[in-house]
Amino acid sequence: MEELFEDIDRLTHAEKRVAMATLVATRGTSPKREGAKMWVGEEGRILGSVTIGGCVDARVIAESEQALSSFKSRLVEMRLGDEDAWEIGFSCAGDLDVLIEPVDLTCPDNVLDCYRVVRSAIDYGKRAVIATLLRDSSRKLLIIEGGEISGSLGTPELDREAQTVAVELIRRGVSSTVSIGPDSSSVFFETHGPPPTLIVFGAGHVSMPLVSLAHDLGLKTIVVDGRPRFATRERFPDVDKLLIGIPSEIAETLAYTSSTFVVLTAHDYKYDLPVLKVVLPARPAYVGLLGSKRRGKAIKEFLQEAGINEALLDQLHVPTGLDIGAETAAEIALSILAEAVALKSGRSATFLRDVK
Amino acid sequence: MPALYSDILLDHFRHPRNYGSLDAPDISNEQFNPLCGDRIRIELKLEHSIVNQARFKGDGCAISTAAASLLTELVTGADITQLANFSDAQLIAALESNIQPARVQCALLPLQALREGLKDYKL
Repeated sequence: MEELFEDIDRLTHAEKRVAMATLVATRGTSPKREGAKMWVGEEGRILGSVTIGGCVDARVIAESEQALSSFKSRLVEMRLGDEDAWEIGFSCAGDLDVLIEPVDLTCPDNVLDCYRVVRSAIDYGKRAVIATLLRDSSRKLLIIEGGEISGSLGTPELDREAQTVAVELIRRGVSSTVSIGPDSSSVFFETHGPPPTLIVFGAGHVSMPLVSLAHDLGLKTIVVDGRPRFATRERFPDVDKLLIGIPSEIAETLAYTSSTFVVLTAHDYKYDLPVLKVVLPARPAYVGLLGSKRRGKAIKEFLQEAGINEALLDQLHVPTGLDIGAETAAEIALSILAEAVALKSGRSATFLRDVK
Repeated sequence: MPALYSDILLDHFRHPRNYGSLDAPDISNEQFNPLCGDRIRIELKLEHSIVNQARFKGDGCAISTAAASLLTELVTGADITQLANFSDAQLIAALESNIQPARVQCALLPLQALREGLKDYKL
């Protein structure tokens, strides 16, 4: 479940009124992406963060308390030059806009209603976008993947354009503020979707820490193997689904999206070859294969002979993982997930100190 | 002494015959090796007592895949009353390979599926 919904559940049982602060725009470097949220309760509870803490969050908390007092939304624009950033501790030096909306948890509320619908859509495996007009955040348009919409940004023209933007943002899986309409109205598009999924083919010893670590990272996890003695709850206490059968046949029944990571850990051609024939053409976000470069070359040659084209073979990460000197199963799991997350984020996975 | 992996074994592994599933098979049975993970399902469609179509599906090593592929060819057209007499040695001989004792169970996995399937059918 998304952290957002966990936070809403926790606050609903503890607070009457909360301020929802959402990072809606960033310029320059920022430790968090658009869509990050912080909740500030009237009773003092704080959940989440729009940065990584420090003075910026403190300022957001202060603004949230004022928004709760007036019970009016506000857009807080933080323009931080390098010197300002240093002064207030925002060492990442970037500009950011935070939308703060007061929410009454005790009665029907537009914001809560939107999230209820979004949550239901996600439960059905769909993605959804909440478009919010930043100059009047009470105007919201909810767009569910597949075409269902509710609410309005104020005019049919804005709603139509917002739907087009939402389709693209759903495809990319990101949240963003976009100017739309004849007067270039700033609209924040908040994208939600099913949690990223890790599918592991092979229930061997590397898969155990891989699944536990993925679970901690918030990924839904699926383990597939033909051996009931290996694919057990005892070995995989955190796994969401254990599937036992012919692995390639099971592979054909699973959904692969831009949020799906696939790792083959069996280190056995009898699983690797038939499963890769199914998985590579489905183009998940990441496909990693445990094994040496030499083994990878042989597997690729075999797949090529079986009709898998070069472009699909290039997607295969073999050996899987980053070069962190991993030796233990847990270290190998860490290296695999680090590579997968970096790839999904479009990052180079280098040392942060060397990033310019 | 036959080769470790004969040309016929490698050919059936690389280009398995009768791979897939049947709609409403009369006989279907899946067997697996609990340690190495080979999994093979054999399906037969009968016309009276004659095997009209045979298919196999599974993820297995070269030996078990080739054995399953060969088995589907060998049983097609046969009378199921005769299949009960199909021996381990017949299938291993068809592989024309030097199957080591530790790998015999790989070669016989599809035959085990066939035998279990025939038992179920008789029931």
